[in-house]
Amino acid sequence: MLRRFRLEEPEHVSQVSELLSRFGDSAKIYAGGTELLLAMKEGLVQYERLINVKNLNCRDVTLENGALSIGALSTHRELETSKTIKEKLPALAKLEHNVANVRVRQVGTLGGNLCFAEPHADPGTLLIALGAKMIAEKSSSQRELDAEKFFVDAFETALEPDEVLTKIVIPVPGAAGRSAYLKFGYLERPSVGVGLAFNLNGQVSSMRIAVGCAGPAPRRVPEAEALLEGKSREEAERNLAQAGALAGRAAQAITDLHGSQDYKEHIVGILLKRAFLSALS
Amino acid sequence: MAKPMSRASEAQLIPISFTLNGRLQEIDVEPHELLLDVVRERLGLTGAKRSCDVQVCGACTLLVDGRPVSACTTLAFEVRGRSVLTIEGLAENGKLHPLQQAFIEHGGFQCGFCTPGMILAAKALLDENPDPSEAELKHFMHGNICRCTGYKKIIESIMAAAKTMRSGGQGSSS
Amino acid sequence: MQFQKEVEIRASREKVWQFIWDVDRFIACVPGCKEAKTLEQGKRYTATMVEKVGPFKVEFPTNIEVLEREEMSRIKAQASGADNKIGSRMKIDLDVNLREQGDNTILGFVAGVNILGKLAALGHGIIKRKADQVLDEFAQAVKKQLEGDS
Repeated sequence: MLRRFRLEEPEHVSQVSELLSRFGDSAKIYAGGTELLLAMKEGLVQYERLINVKNLNCRDVTLENGALSIGALSTHRELETSKTIKEKLPALAKLEHNVANVRVRQVGTLGGNLCFAEPHADPGTLLIALGAKMIAEKSSSQRELDAEKFFVDAFETALEPDEVLTKIVIPVPGAAGRSAYLKFGYLERPSVGVGLAFNLNGQVSSMRIAVGCAGPAPRRVPEAEALLEGKSREEAERNLAQAGALAGRAAQAITDLHGSQDYKEHIVGILLKRAFLSALS
Repeated sequence: MAKPMSRASEAQLIPISFTLNGRLQEIDVEPHELLLDVVRERLGLTGAKRSCDVQVCGACTLLVDGRPVSACTTLAFEVRGRSVLTIEGLAENGKLHPLQQAFIEHGGFQCGFCTPGMILAAKALLDENPDPSEAELKHFMHGNICRCTGYKKIIESIMAAAKTMRSGGQGSSS
Repeated sequence: MQFQKEVEIRASREKVWQFIWDVDRFIACVPGCKEAKTLEQGKRYTATMVEKVGPFKVEFPTNIEVLEREEMSRIKAQASGADNKIGSRMKIDLDVNLREQGDNTILGFVAGVNILGKLAALGHGIIKRKADQVLDEFAQAVKKQLEGDS
């Protein structure tokens, strides 16, 4: 049984922002509720008010100016089945297809997933590798945050207390673009996730690698990128083991029920190698 | 739209109207009430089970607008204006749904605790994809856990029901 | 969970020792710790510990008891508290030691931290990192306070 709370149902972002400003910590945005309601049921958090944002107009997936714009309220299911995403960013469609289970995908939103910033989650990692930008709005203004700056710590994002994540914008890769996301886990949530994206024109360029789930927040690993950037395909393949080791150490893996730090670092290396090879094919 | 009561001490009541197993329901719910509790305690339909209570096991699966949700982690007011299907609503006029028939014929359940959720999830699968491969079936059903059967018989039951439904055997679409 | 920290402070052993018993200033160095009260000088104290990890906030009214004391060199203490809102209990076994290093003092402590109840659901790893952070900040705050004085 949940503790009693008041339900607010605003129609515009500015109203959400106002409610957040006015009620502070005692109010929380509620979208799909797949993370929030669990925490509330466990008694780990309590709110006097939940702000149902599902009436906001933030659910479209559109293609504009070479970028995919995803409304924060899009559910995982909408994203896994979106024709546009399957065509332009198949790695993202595949990731969404494998989030949690079919019931969570049905109601859970991408925005909610990103904002709750649970360490053991998938989308953030690939979004960092894809160079996505988060659009955050409040009453009178809007700003853009790079995905790699969005995740600050476990359960903590760079959003201000009265800001609402409304869109995620992802540049669509060109013909030379390759990307992949692989994860490993045997518990309900993923234990290690590696996302990467690059261009292949004889040489590997614009290499971006991100590691998630292992540490408190998903992060980009430039240390590993440097070993593959500007290399020929063959040379990059030869450097994969070393890149993997570097990425593992940079993952800030913490020992928990998902595995020891060593184990996770090891898995990062394996996933990096497999993801790169999978992106090539 | 929620109409908050004006006095702070009073509970906020949200009137909701939805179709339950094909029939109109009109009730008032408080925002914090969970769908599973409303269905089991207030509406007396106890087929859906509270098992893990963290939306992981699927024993509480209900179909809302034909799609599977975890009733244990769904706020009741969210079904306003929608159609809800519980296991009790699957058989029509006493005639079992092909999935129910198949689970009986192929031994798809033992203790039966996971079964209502299992069957509803399978219905959602087959309504969306009438001829799933075993891999597609397993992926869709991944979130429904069974402690008894080892899943082989469940897969067989669903595949058998799919065959029946494809060849024009009775299937409902609510 | 066990933690071990050491910090070198540019101050004499006497000064550091005195500082520890200046309860208000000492407690102020623990991030999230406030409302320190002395129940029995040198033996029993209370304080409130407030920590936050993202949206998860705990408030532990804490009882602190000094179990052993070796003048100028060692303190053994125990802190315990319960957050009934969340349904969690905390217990910290603290061993503080001082030793001279030339004109400076090495302040070391070994902390055994036990968190029981719902908070553990957050994940052992997250709690460990948080506790580690708190102890690091604490050590640095003590150093800053003492070195800022002179």
